[in-house]
Amino acid sequence: MMAVDVGGTFTDVVAVKDGKIFTAKVSTRVGEVEKGVIEGANELGVADCPVFNHASTHGLNAIITRSLPKIGFLTTEGHRDVPDVGRTWRPVTALTDPSWRRTFGDADRPLVPRYLRRGIVERLKADGSVFIPLDEAQAREELRVLKRCNVEGIAICLLHAYTNAVHEARLRELVREELGDIPCSVSSEISPLAKEYARASTTLVDVFMKIIYDTYSQRLDEGLRGSGFVGQLNFADCTANLIPAAAAMAAPFKIVFAGPAAGTVGSAHFGAVINQPNLLCADVGGTSCDISLVTNGQPFVNTTFELEHDLIVNALSNDISSIGAGGGSIVAISSSGDIKVGPESAGALPGPACYGRGGTAPTMTDINLLAGILDPDGFAGGKMKLDLALSRRAFEQLDTPLPFDARVRYAYDIGLNNIAEGIFNIAVKYGIDPRDYALMAFGAAGPLVLPALADLVHVKSVIVPPHPGLFSALGLLSGDQAYTLSRSAYQILTPDVAPGIDAIFSEMEAQMRAGLAAGQEIETQRSFDAQLVGQTWETPFVAVPDGRIDEAAIRQMIKNFHDAYAARNGNRFEAIPVQGVTYRVRAVVKTAKVSYPPLKARGSEPLKPVGSSVLRYVSDQEEIAQIYRREDLCAGDVVMGPAIIREALSTTYITRNQLGTVGGYGEITINRKA
Amino acid sequence: MSNFLFPRPLDPTPRQAREPVEGSCAECGAEHLMRYPVLSEGGWYMVVKCQSCLASHSREKWTRLGFVSLLTDQLEDGVEMHA
Repeated sequence: MMAVDVGGTFTDVVAVKDGKIFTAKVSTRVGEVEKGVIEGANELGVADCPVFNHASTHGLNAIITRSLPKIGFLTTEGHRDVPDVGRTWRPVTALTDPSWRRTFGDADRPLVPRYLRRGIVERLKADGSVFIPLDEAQAREELRVLKRCNVEGIAICLLHAYTNAVHEARLRELVREELGDIPCSVSSEISPLAKEYARASTTLVDVFMKIIYDTYSQRLDEGLRGSGFVGQLNFADCTANLIPAAAAMAAPFKIVFAGPAAGTVGSAHFGAVINQPNLLCADVGGTSCDISLVTNGQPFVNTTFELEHDLIVNALSNDISSIGAGGGSIVAISSSGDIKVGPESAGALPGPACYGRGGTAPTMTDINLLAGILDPDGFAGGKMKLDLALSRRAFEQLDTPLPFDARVRYAYDIGLNNIAEGIFNIAVKYGIDPRDYALMAFGAAGPLVLPALADLVHVKSVIVPPHPGLFSALGLLSGDQAYTLSRSAYQILTPDVAPGIDAIFSEMEAQMRAGLAAGQEIETQRSFDAQLVGQTWETPFVAVPDGRIDEAAIRQMIKNFHDAYAARNGNRFEAIPVQGVTYRVRAVVKTAKVSYPPLKARGSEPLKPVGSSVLRYVSDQEEIAQIYRREDLCAGDVVMGPAIIREALSTTYITRNQLGTVGGYGEITINRKA
Repeated sequence: MSNFLFPRPLDPTPRQAREPVEGSCAECGAEHLMRYPVLSEGGWYMVVKCQSCLASHSREKWTRLGFVSLLTDQLEDGVEMHA
């Protein structure tokens, strides 16, 4: 099996053949992404792979940079500014400021320009009954305007359509008649959930993804088949579960944020292998440090996520928090004369000063090069040379009276403390004690910077998994194939609503079975989101009993809600009625996953370093660190800090207060010395 | 429509005269461009918009009284007031 994680700069490819893991890293081809993917697949030999799992950020990047196709947005007349208004959030400082304007989300950089958002004369009531019938003549007129504007797709989101799809369905027929067979997303199918803004933004994202990924998916499939691939092409969704390509293209909003989620699922899977069920997962790349949580072997899943501030997508997603701290985080002098690190990043272009691509600002990568941790000749598998003199010059040019040594030393400490603070904030947010969690360090820069945090955050240990530079791609071989459906219906849970809820689950399960191959073995899970009457926020993923929903099942659902509410919030309010909001069905098809080959134990030959390096700026005095090659490590080896462990796409730095123990699957567990 | 408590007014309402502008819309191709002032977030603007698809072709800051600057305009622009 093979997996590909397409990033903005590099495309990571991993293949598992005969129990062995093979990896490749190729440059992402902007504008011809599928060619880079096929090139990487051919490098490892895709012909005999039974599955090819795929995650890409190029759809996400298109939205963030607004490099988007021209589409039209049809909504109920008077509601075309819904994407601008968002959730009407404003900062506390703006609550009494009438001149405050949103600088974020759609208001500032619209996904769809205002003239392409057209109001349609129609209106449904909240109960789904028709208040104003659809004015077809007016709708056709608006569609003709959009046709003259040469839109490439249409998003339809009418008020209260999640309770009655009749107007949206007819409107789609009119789209077909007036504009032909162009991509068209309808909110009552894509995301039949309450709350108009989230439904609208999800539908908009869906139609963009249809345009971006539809042709891409076809070209990728054809390219892979041309290389002899005869297996199943899957796309990963935002929880890194896998969806066959055809099903993914039916609702592609689910795949927009797949790459970061894969690292979490990869961590959970590897954590199960090495018996570490509680993990803080940190993926440190060039720009950011993405942190997520795995508790009792399960990733923390949200019902929605934000592509950017207040731009919501109604899709299940692994909860990931980003800190602006990575290898490219820029060291600068603030207006008050302090050294600060990030959140600005040099990115891949121009990149850190030492890359020699025109960047003049010092970065965390420059610090690690000056410190003697990074190898100037062996960076990125030896494909890139780093220039020590450029790093030195970048620090010398900083406008500060501090001596050179202090500049580098302080910047190193500040960079580490930024990440430590971010991890603390996330631990507090979830109410966990970091001492109960191991920190899984991956991403190209994760093993470089995260072990040094163990002294600041006091996590149980820091674990560097095998292939940390490509660990997110490995995560794509660690998930199951899963299908999800959800539907909203606001109902206070009483015995008389049981038939209605039973019908919702029966319809969703029938719809799900219809989309699966006959005889496919699946495990179905039901859940619902609910709130206490009067609340406006839901407690998600409350368990629902299997079988027919009757009076007893409703009682069980109410009990399950209060249990889930108490577990999340610490209180029970059993006197207050429970209101069901969204009902969910998830079908899981058990899928073959990557199995990590055990690492052989050491024989009579002792572990020997391949060299040493003088470390500067990482502590008050110079230190000599032994350098090891990761491929020389065997199970049971103990590496005493200070030490540097080099591999093709990553470098692990163990501080002088730490020791690293090599586990049975090649993982390096770093703890403080006794 | 009759269900609305406040139906659309049928009596003539005050209207801003719109000045025709030569040229065609770059978005939809219609030859129906007009120049007129609009009030939106950030204050008054003089715009040229296609009357067919409503795409904006130009949008410039505008004051209602020409060179006369009202105290309220200064407040909107965030000009500091001194005693």
